[in-house]
Amino acid sequence: MRTIAEYNPFAVTVYFLAVAGTTMFSMNPVILVLSLAGALSYFFVRNGFREMKSHLAFFLMFLFMALLNPLISHNGVTVLFVMNNNPVTLEALVYGIAAAAMILAVLYWFRSYSQIMTSDKLLYVFGVLSPRLALILSMAIRYVPLFGSQVKKVNQAQKALGLYKEDNLVDSFRGGVRVFSVMVTWALENGIITADSMTARGYGSGKRSHYSTFCFRRGDWILMGISCVLLIVTWIGLGDFTFNYYPALKVSALQKTGLIGCISYGLLAFLPVIIEEKETLKWNCLQSKI
Amino acid sequence: MIVIKSKKVRTVLKISIPFAAIPLLVLLGAVAFPQKQHLLVSFGVAVLAVLLFLTGFERKIVGSRRMVIVAVMTALCIAGRFIPLFKPVTTLTILTAMYLGGEAGFLVGALAALLSNFYFGQGPWTPFQMLAWGMIGLLAGFLAKPLKKSRAFLLVFGVLSGAVFSFIMDIWTILWYNGSFQLERYLPVLVTAIPHTVMYAVSNFLFLWMFAKPFGEKLERVKVKYGV
Repeated sequence: MRTIAEYNPFAVTVYFLAVAGTTMFSMNPVILVLSLAGALSYFFVRNGFREMKSHLAFFLMFLFMALLNPLISHNGVTVLFVMNNNPVTLEALVYGIAAAAMILAVLYWFRSYSQIMTSDKLLYVFGVLSPRLALILSMAIRYVPLFGSQVKKVNQAQKALGLYKEDNLVDSFRGGVRVFSVMVTWALENGIITADSMTARGYGSGKRSHYSTFCFRRGDWILMGISCVLLIVTWIGLGDFTFNYYPALKVSALQKTGLIGCISYGLLAFLPVIIEEKETLKWNCLQSKI
Repeated sequence: MIVIKSKKVRTVLKISIPFAAIPLLVLLGAVAFPQKQHLLVSFGVAVLAVLLFLTGFERKIVGSRRMVIVAVMTALCIAGRFIPLFKPVTTLTILTAMYLGGEAGFLVGALAALLSNFYFGQGPWTPFQMLAWGMIGLLAGFLAKPLKKSRAFLLVFGVLSGAVFSFIMDIWTILWYNGSFQLERYLPVLVTAIPHTVMYAVSNFLFLWMFAKPFGEKLERVKVKYGV
């Protein structure tokens, strides 16, 4: 068995679109709480409790967005207090918290997704859509570090020639502009050479195919199937379990279908944690037996 | 993708899709659906438009030289996003579009947004950034002649596109936060985004002022020398 990161990138993309998309288009507080809990726990399972500073920034953003809404929006019937002749309402506050939770949850899902989708996986997904686009993307990705190292070389050469000092702001700025200018010329010329070399080796003489090391295994189909089924069940189940924020907070009675929808979204949100934790448990069990 | 043979029909489609069909779809979505659906509609439109453009334009970038130049410019954009405060992405997109055509400009803008977000954080805003930068490139391609002729117009175009990029991203912020578009929400967000808007406009102005001529000469030279 594999962790989520080892599944086929297509299956992983389908899963993340399902879980984050539902969060984005739903303001149901149950869904938001489940999604936020799932996103956070998966992120911590993957990364451990390191670099807590970045989480602090996200938390502050959450507070800011939650408190911004009641200051701007004055809809709602339950007035908490009056500020500058404008009523601050409970409904607006609750809506602000819900919207902030939604945004935070989506951000954390995408943080995990960005970590999982390395550039080779991105190229695989795009290569299926359009091989030529994937070629442009892969060249661009390769050029970024190449340009970086070339900038260093040009910079050292110019310094050795004595063209500029580093301790003078105007001088170093002009030096930077010159290095940039050299770089652009070099990059364009180098690109032409690459292109000619590609043509010489037969690029464009036939239909372009795309090589990749990924294939669809049984587990990938299962992951994709489970994501799609849970997604559909969630949306059907939530159809009549609605939550109104304005003008007054109102929850419709929780029917059986609504409950099933919530449970299926809970499963969807905690699916990666279940998969990863199952592996760890298995590993520990097998280890202790040996 | 179906390849449309007639050049006239292609041009009409090229102009009508971004400037008529997409706003129309957004408006229709706004009128026909209740509240929360604005986000869904705008998201769908952005993703579809970007996919449509990318696959369509990718066919038009013929010849390996042209393709490599597009990759080079995209890489320069990504590298440029690492510069603190000043972002040359819009400038490079405009310059590419001016000298290599609107399609190349769209590709560079959209791909730079897509790829650089792998360093700066991918999210649901990616399709909107791709669309916004791509459209700036496309528009600069249409206006290539007057932009090359008049430097003042080029600078004004740069400042405006910086501001418009910020405005488009603010619309997206509102849609995301609120689910629907409301003017009374949009204005405070615009006010809080003023530093960003000014920064975009100023960096576009500075970069275009400094690089438009030397960069244009380099691109022109490559074009003439190698027949890109």
